[in-house]
Amino acid sequence: MRIRARGIVAGRASGKALVSSTPFSFVGGVDPATGSILNGSTGILGERLDDRIFAFPTGKGSTVGSYVLYGLGKRGHGPAAIVNRRADAVVAVGATLAGIPMVDRVDVGGLRTGDRMVVDGGRGTVELPDIRGKRVVTAILRNRGRILIVRRSEKVGTFRGKWSAISGHIEGREDPKHRAIVEVREETGIRAITFRGAGDPVLARDGTTIYVVHPFLFDTPNRRVRLDWENVEQRWVRPEELDRFETVPRLVNVVAAVLKPSA
Amino acid sequence: MRLTRTQMHLLDDGTESQRKAMQILLAVGRLADAPRLIPITSAHVSGVSYKLIGDPGLEFLEDFARDARVSVPTTVNPLGTDLAQWQALGVPPSFAEKQGRIASAYEAMGVRRSFSCTPYLIGVRPTFGEHVAWAESSAVCFANSVLGARTNREGGPAALAAAIVGATPEHGLHTDEGREPTAIVKVGVKPRGIDYSLIGLVAGERVDDGLPFFRGFRGTEGDLKWLGAALASSGACSMFHLEGVTPESRRAHVKGLKSIAITDRDLAAAKRAHTDGTEADMIGLGSPQLSADELREVARLVDRTPPRIPVWVFTSRVVRDANPDAVGTIERHGGRVLADTCLEVTLLEHRFGTVATPSGKGAYYLPSLSRQKVVFEELKTLLERYT
Repeated sequence: MRIRARGIVAGRASGKALVSSTPFSFVGGVDPATGSILNGSTGILGERLDDRIFAFPTGKGSTVGSYVLYGLGKRGHGPAAIVNRRADAVVAVGATLAGIPMVDRVDVGGLRTGDRMVVDGGRGTVELPDIRGKRVVTAILRNRGRILIVRRSEKVGTFRGKWSAISGHIEGREDPKHRAIVEVREETGIRAITFRGAGDPVLARDGTTIYVVHPFLFDTPNRRVRLDWENVEQRWVRPEELDRFETVPRLVNVVAAVLKPSA
Repeated sequence: MRLTRTQMHLLDDGTESQRKAMQILLAVGRLADAPRLIPITSAHVSGVSYKLIGDPGLEFLEDFARDARVSVPTTVNPLGTDLAQWQALGVPPSFAEKQGRIASAYEAMGVRRSFSCTPYLIGVRPTFGEHVAWAESSAVCFANSVLGARTNREGGPAALAAAIVGATPEHGLHTDEGREPTAIVKVGVKPRGIDYSLIGLVAGERVDDGLPFFRGFRGTEGDLKWLGAALASSGACSMFHLEGVTPESRRAHVKGLKSIAITDRDLAAAKRAHTDGTEADMIGLGSPQLSADELREVARLVDRTPPRIPVWVFTSRVVRDANPDAVGTIERHGGRVLADTCLEVTLLEHRFGTVATPSGKGAYYLPSLSRQKVVFEELKTLLERYT
C-alpha cells in the first residue's frame, strides 16, 4: 500500500521499520556513538537506528537533538529515513543536516517494527510493499456528550462481535464524507445529522492489512437507532468509557481524532 | 514554497553549506506552510554555549565552518564562559578549550564575535518593519515589541541557515496577522524595578504561546527589556504590545479579546514562587546582559552600599570595554564584571549554591539549567541585606 504524507526532507530510502510508541528526544534517547536506543519507554530499547526507517509520533526535548542526529548520520549510525505523525523543527533540522529523508502526517500507530518500507521525502509518500491497504470511513455520531457504538454481527466480513462506530468501505474515488453519511443512514436509519468535523486518517492494523480510517464527527438530535443486518447491539457511551469494550483496532484513536483534532 | 532564481541557484549549485542552509530553510518553511523566503537585514544566532550544545554541537559547527559564510551582518549569543577571565573563574581547561573552538568556528563563518544576548544594545538595531532572523528569545521579544522589527523565534541552526542565505521563511511574526494580540492583560500596578520582570513571568504563564496586549502602565526601553525576557521565559511569547508605548500598539485589534488581570498580589505570589533559596552566596546581575547605563548604575549602588557577598555582573564585551571606571568600582568591592557570557549559561554552579538576582529570566532558568537555588529580589534590597 501507499500512504500519502507530507514531505519534509527530500530523498528516497528503503528499509525495515523501527517504531517508537512515544515521542522521542535524540538527546538522551539514543547513544550518539552507536545509534542504540537508550530510552525504554519507546518499547524498542537496545535496537539500533542504523539503516532503519525510524517512526515515532513527534520529536521532543532539547534543541541539541539536531546536532546529535547530524553526528549519528556522519558516523553511519543514523536512520535511513524518519516518519513522524507531526514533525518538529529540532528533528527536521537534524534530518536536513544529516541528509536523512523525512516525512510527517503519518499515523505511526499503524506501523510495526520490522515492516518493509519505502519513504520518499520529495514526493511525500510512504510505501509498504507487504501490506494491503483498505480505505474506510468511520462516523462518530454524538448526542449530548455520548457517542454511538455498535456491536458487529456474525454476517460481516471482519471483526465479528467487536464493538465499532458506524463504518464502511470507501468505493473507488467516492468522497469519504459522502460515504460516511450514507453509512449512517443505512446502519442507523438516522437522517437528521449535522457535520461537525473530519480528523486526520488513523491507520488501524490487522495483520498484513492496514485500514486507512477517515474519521468524521456528526451531531444527531435523537438517540433512536434502527440497526440493519451489520450490527446486533447498540450503546450510547461517554468517550472515556470506550476502553471497557472489546473494540475494533484503534477505535479510541479514531474518536480522539475528531473530538480532539490537535491530538 | 516559491523560490527566487537566486535561492534556486543556492539550492542547486551553491557550496555544500549553502545547499544545506537552503534545505534547512525549506524544511522549517514546510513545517510552517510558509509561502516563500523573505530577505533579512541581520541574523542573531544561538547554540554557542558549550555548556548547552556540548560535543555534538561543536562537531557540527567545526564541520560547517569549513565552507559556510554568512551573507548578512550576524551576531551570536553568549558563550559558556568569559574568554579572557576563565582561568580566574576556575573553569576547567578542557571546557575553555572547546568553548574557544566553538567561538572560532562562528568567527570563521563571518559571525561577529559579539557573544551577547542583547545585540540591540551593541549597534544592531533593526528599524520599524525590518525583517530579521534572530534566535535568543529575549532579543526576539525586544526586536518585535519595542523596535517593531519582524522576526520569529528561530532555532540556532535555522538562524544560521538564514544568515547564510540572507532570507528566512515568511510566516508568523513576519506577517501582519501574526502580530495581532491574543489577549488583553490589564495590570493594576504602577511597576518599578523587578515588577517588570514579575509582570513578564506572570503574563507568560497566563498567555502561554499567545501575544499579550498590556494595558495600564508605562515603561522605558530598559524596563521593557526585563519584561520581555521574563515573558519569553515563562511563556513561549515572542512579542507583546503595551498600550500607548510600543510602536504597533495603536494598530493592534483588541476588540473581543479575552482579558486577564494582573494585581500586586499576583506579583507578590510570583516573587515567592521564584524564590527557593534563603541565604545567597552571590548576587548575579544580567540575563539579559546589562546595558552601559545599567552597569554604571550597579557600580554606583555597590559603591554606596558595598555588600559582603560578591556581585557578578554580566554584560557584553563592548559595554565592558567602554566602561572601565564602573568595572573598576565593582571589582574593587570584590565583584566581577564578566563579558562574553551570561548568568545561566556560564559555569557558576560549582562555586555558588544560591544566587540572588533581580532578573526574572535568571530566576526562571537558574534552578533547571544550573541546579541552583534563587533569591529573587531588588538589587537595592539585596545590597542592604548583605551589607
